[in-house]
Amino acid sequence: MNSDLHIGAQKLIAQQRVEGITREEEFRLAAHLAECESCAAFAREMEQALSAFRGVTAEVPRGLVNRTQLRVRLRAEELRERAPGRTLLWAIAAVSWALGVATAPWVWRGFEWVGRQTGLPKPVWELGVVLWWAVPALIAAGAVIFERRGRAQELE
Amino acid sequence: MSATFHWTALERTGLRFSALMADDPKALARRLQQRDPDLLDSLIEQYQYRLFRYLLHLTANRERAEDFFQETWVRVLERGHQYDGKWKFEAWLFAIARNLVLDWHRRKKPQSLDALAGTGEDSAFDVKDERAATPLQEVLADEQRTGVHASLGKLPAVYREVLVLRFQEEMQLEEIAAVLSTPISTVKSRLYRGLEAMRGAMTERAGDGGAL
Repeated sequence: MNSDLHIGAQKLIAQQRVEGITREEEFRLAAHLAECESCAAFAREMEQALSAFRGVTAEVPRGLVNRTQLRVRLRAEELRERAPGRTLLWAIAAVSWALGVATAPWVWRGFEWVGRQTGLPKPVWELGVVLWWAVPALIAAGAVIFERRGRAQELE
Repeated sequence: MSATFHWTALERTGLRFSALMADDPKALARRLQQRDPDLLDSLIEQYQYRLFRYLLHLTANRERAEDFFQETWVRVLERGHQYDGKWKFEAWLFAIARNLVLDWHRRKKPQSLDALAGTGEDSAFDVKDERAATPLQEVLADEQRTGVHASLGKLPAVYREVLVLRFQEEMQLEEIAAVLSTPISTVKSRLYRGLEAMRGAMTERAGDGGAL
């Protein structure tokens, strides 16, 4: 008895169900199964196990669908209520960015003038310009992070 | 008049609507982006059995599966804009459910899905046997239910999961790989091992006098 033949046949039995086999392999397998009782039993066991597995069902608990639909609707409402606030936030950010770009030369000159009048070193008033730009953006980023953290806690 | 009524009733249940949508992932993606609660209602109804069964296989616990079921749909609502219709909706849905279970498990304890394997002691699953009409057949079906359930409980969750997706959900290997975020070769190897483990467990059970 060639054990490789049986191992090969059993591999084909599994392969047939997982990824499929060629027509030629199908014929070869059928011919082997007609002659080999142990491999035929293996194929039967595999088919019975799969058929039992396919028969496993899960009864959905009563009311779960309704509860879920209600929860999803409430969440959708909540998201809708928050949406205008978020749009407004983005609009303000966009306007602020546009104004920032448009006024950048004057802001620069203004800081430069203040620096000259007060005798501040150049890096200090330059840092002032950077902060003038960065602080609003940092506040906005902080607000978004704060909101996301709140949402994550809600999910917990 | 009557036709109008039936049409309205169908529209209300949303079943016809979502069935059409599920056939067209791109159209579904567009509706999901709008966060339409009516669409969500119909999807929840349409996928209730499949999602719940998948979650039961993942968690092996009914209460937990219920929690994740609700959480999954809330997540679908929130992240609907991320669904691009590239894969079937169910593949995306199961990926969300799976990630929620994994996140929860990671927060609880740093371990993989292997640790989610059920003990086989609870009665989370039922076996459908519509032919079991007589008392004797009911007893046999009950034995079969216990047998199959006990056998499945012995399988590691990573194998149970791919077996569910392949043989109950009839998903393609590529879709399973997308749900699991793993290469197809890993999916195949888990399927082969899972099949062998399931055959072994069920045959052993039958050999012990239980029903297969």
